[in-house]
Amino acid sequence: MAKTYDYLFKLLLIGDSGVGKTCVLFRFSEDAFNTSFISTIGIDFKIRTIELDGKKIKLQIWDTAGQERFRTITTAYYRGAMGIMLVYDITNEKSFENIKNWIRNIEENASADVEKMLLGNKCELSEKRQVTKDRGDALAIEYGIKFMETSAKASINVEEAFYTLARDIKAKTEKKLEASNPPKGGHQLKATEPQRKPTNWLSRCSLL
Amino acid sequence: MKREAESNFNMARSERRPTIFNLSLQPQFEHLLSELETNEVSGVSVVIRAIYDGDEHQKFMECLDSRIKSHDKDIERMCNFHYQGFIDSIRELLQVRTQAQKLNTEVVRLDEELQQSANRVISKGEELVQARRVESNIASAIDSLTTCLPVLSTYAKLQKQMGEKRYYPALKTLEQLEHLYLPRVANYQFAQQMRDNIPKLRDNIKDASMSDLKDFLENIRKFSPKIGEVAMRHTAEQMGGDPGVIGGKKKRIALSAPNPFTGKVESNESDYDEEDLSAQDLIDFSPVYRCLHIFSVLGSRDTFEAYYRQQRKQQARLVLQPPTNMHESLEGYRSYIHGIVGFLVTEDHLLNTGNGLVSHSYLDELWSMALGKIVNALRTHSAYCTDATLMLKIKNLIMLFLTSLQNYGYPVSQLLELLTEIRDHYNEVLMQRWVQVFREILDEECFLPIEVETQEEYDCVLSSFPFHDEPLEVSPFPKIFPFSSMVPKVYQQVKEFIYACLKFSEDLNLSQAEVDDMIRKSTNLLLTRTFSGCLTSIFRKPSLALLQVVQIIIDTGYLENATVFLEEFVSNMTGSNRSDGHLTLRSQGQSAMFRVARDDAERQICDKLRGKVSEFLELENYDWLLVEPKGHASSFVTDLIAFLHSTFQSFTNLPDEVAQQACCAACEHIANSVMALMLSDDVKQISMGALQQINLDTIQCEQFAASEPVPGLEEGVLLRYFADLRQLLDLFMTWDWPTYFHDYGQENSKYQLVNPSTAIILVEKLREADKRTMFSVLKKSERDKKKLLETVLKQLRQLAQTQQQSQPSLPQSTQLSQPQQQLQAPVQ
Repeated sequence: MAKTYDYLFKLLLIGDSGVGKTCVLFRFSEDAFNTSFISTIGIDFKIRTIELDGKKIKLQIWDTAGQERFRTITTAYYRGAMGIMLVYDITNEKSFENIKNWIRNIEENASADVEKMLLGNKCELSEKRQVTKDRGDALAIEYGIKFMETSAKASINVEEAFYTLARDIKAKTEKKLEASNPPKGGHQLKATEPQRKPTNWLSRCSLL
Repeated sequence: MKREAESNFNMARSERRPTIFNLSLQPQFEHLLSELETNEVSGVSVVIRAIYDGDEHQKFMECLDSRIKSHDKDIERMCNFHYQGFIDSIRELLQVRTQAQKLNTEVVRLDEELQQSANRVISKGEELVQARRVESNIASAIDSLTTCLPVLSTYAKLQKQMGEKRYYPALKTLEQLEHLYLPRVANYQFAQQMRDNIPKLRDNIKDASMSDLKDFLENIRKFSPKIGEVAMRHTAEQMGGDPGVIGGKKKRIALSAPNPFTGKVESNESDYDEEDLSAQDLIDFSPVYRCLHIFSVLGSRDTFEAYYRQQRKQQARLVLQPPTNMHESLEGYRSYIHGIVGFLVTEDHLLNTGNGLVSHSYLDELWSMALGKIVNALRTHSAYCTDATLMLKIKNLIMLFLTSLQNYGYPVSQLLELLTEIRDHYNEVLMQRWVQVFREILDEECFLPIEVETQEEYDCVLSSFPFHDEPLEVSPFPKIFPFSSMVPKVYQQVKEFIYACLKFSEDLNLSQAEVDDMIRKSTNLLLTRTFSGCLTSIFRKPSLALLQVVQIIIDTGYLENATVFLEEFVSNMTGSNRSDGHLTLRSQGQSAMFRVARDDAERQICDKLRGKVSEFLELENYDWLLVEPKGHASSFVTDLIAFLHSTFQSFTNLPDEVAQQACCAACEHIANSVMALMLSDDVKQISMGALQQINLDTIQCEQFAASEPVPGLEEGVLLRYFADLRQLLDLFMTWDWPTYFHDYGQENSKYQLVNPSTAIILVEKLREADKRTMFSVLKKSERDKKKLLETVLKQLRQLAQTQQQSQPSLPQSTQLSQPQQQLQAPVQ
């Protein structure tokens, strides 16, 4: 049976409640926007397949609840994530300030080499802006991660953000593959490789 | 003087007689003499005869001579005697003569004088005669004129009255003129002219009053909406617009007022009294009365009546023509209805005051014609209406309309029926509105349990939704309600809806049972159709998470429990005491009201869960030619199990059977999917290693199933879903074909659920996978293995064939679904 994908990347969206994580994901997975605010309960995920350099990549994107009371559920998913999107709301100073706390959260719970990216969402609301792009840039540089301002509503940069993160993860994965395998390594190994990544957190669950 | 002389003479004669006698003794002569002396001529002749007849004429001559002598002597004596006197007299006479002459001149002079003065008198007299004649002429002229004057003044009055448009007096004047005054002056020419003019004048009056009537008709058409408005305002006041303190009092007065004729007229008049003169100014009925009088007097009352009625009918038709854009605003309805009320009030007024111009039968006919049209127009136009508030206003308007007309004695039952029709439409509109309301609530809803920080917030929730929970009561803040904010909101909205429904039925004179029934029906519809519809559309949102569906189910559960309170609410609102058939209605409503929504939600949860499971399975990444299993479950399966674990944890608030059902659905779906994966046509070859990996994954799933992910499930129930997968995998893992074939068809067979045809597919796939390696290595063990495979395959085919013959219609799926059905039965 033909493989439906070459890589499977697990991504995680985190950030304060109401910054638009679900909307960003919704925009990316369905290319639609829903004005009504339904806050995420616990955790949910969407899947979208993209193509990069001729490779089919399945993105399983976990959408976490920003609310504090779901924190215990959501942190459990950090470990399996290969990429994390940190989202704040450019019209909400507090959500930007909290990014630091979220990064600390990642450091505590996620694997060390997880790929991260900072998103300043709702950039279409320029008249309500509280956080300048420069501050976002500065924060990103401080943590050594990439940054983009997005708008789920106006469909700005959402696609680009996910592609960027996916590309970075792909590069990292392929680099690791090459390092662990001699160049002659067949394509079969590539397919199994993504499964190796989550093994460490799987072990928790598969206490058979 | 002569007389004197005479008498003197006579005296002398009488004295002489006796002397004669004495002297002559001859009597007979004496006698004859005396006879002569008497101076009678005839006597003379007689005497003469007598004398001639006798012989003594001598003697007689002597006697006569003697007598003459005596007489002469007498005369002489006498003359002697009177001579002096005579002289005197002459003398006197002479004197008299001068005097007479004097007198004569005097007289002449006087006469002349008199003549002169008389001449003047005569001329004056003539003038006087002239003047007298003039005078009498004048008098007669005055007489004539006095007879003519009334005619003329009447005529003038007539003209003036005509000019002032007081036609009725004019007509009276005309009559007077014709019958009283004109005959008196019949011989005048002008009278004749007038007489000739009279019919013309009559016609003029007729025409003029007719044109007045036309003006009136025009006016009334212009102002009847205003009249209607005023009439309706008064009705509204009578009805006691404010239900406040004085409301009751007012009502009572109002009820007694529109009783019989007097009452109606009164109310009609009061319209005008209270209405700061403007209404009175608006309409002046006098042209009608006048016209009617005039036509009655002129004897063409019938024509007039016919004309009036026809005109009014035409007007009625115009009034009854609703404006095309009436449905757009209340204003349209208002002006339409005002027009009609105005029209009818006017007619009613004329019925009471018009002296039979408007008869009952005419009005009845008009009304029945109008009623049909009104009902039609209102029905059509209100059907366009989609605004509940507007409809409510329309209803109030129609109600007022109806009451107004009822007060005026028009039968309105058809309008009441119309109102019930409109009410049905109103309920529809309300539903539409509440669809919107529910949609908004649901759109804004996060479907998170309500969390309250303070007692105030806690009380606030409890005040809007009937809920009592002891543990929650005593638990410390922040308290978390089991339901989301949608529940109190929806509950409130349902109440609002009921209230809105009721609002229409208010003062519709419906029985309580009817109202009750209507509300129950509407509420049922609202919840089963509208609310469920909204939920369904929420379910269709891809962004709705599974846990939100769970919350919805929980919420609907609470809403369902609250139906009892809704029932109570309805009863309180309608004021009907809960008895008799009431309870049955309630139990009916309770089961139906939220059931549909819940059923849908429960279906949704299974669907969503299956969808999520499918998404995980999409990530399946089997290498079907795997040589060695990896020793642990595939990543997507562990993810899936973790996800299911956290999901089912959040199901704790869910009704047990729903959680169980969802869990079963998930397990069944996993088992079926894994089975389908293996048997899929896309997978042509499967290595033993891959099968072992699947076995590992299945074990992982079975462990999950055995871990009682949701409470209350019978042990092994979930595992049963995996049973056929398990048996199949066991069979292939142990390669225990002899047992399989030996026990085949027996009740307690280890592989009872393994269908030969399924096994065939898998064995064939295994064979395909083996082929790749077999070309290169043709070891003996491999050959044996291949042989065994062929034998197994042959045996299986045989079994499949016999099975087909004996049980032609027992496909695998029925076996699979059996446990599921058993599980579902109690839930349903």
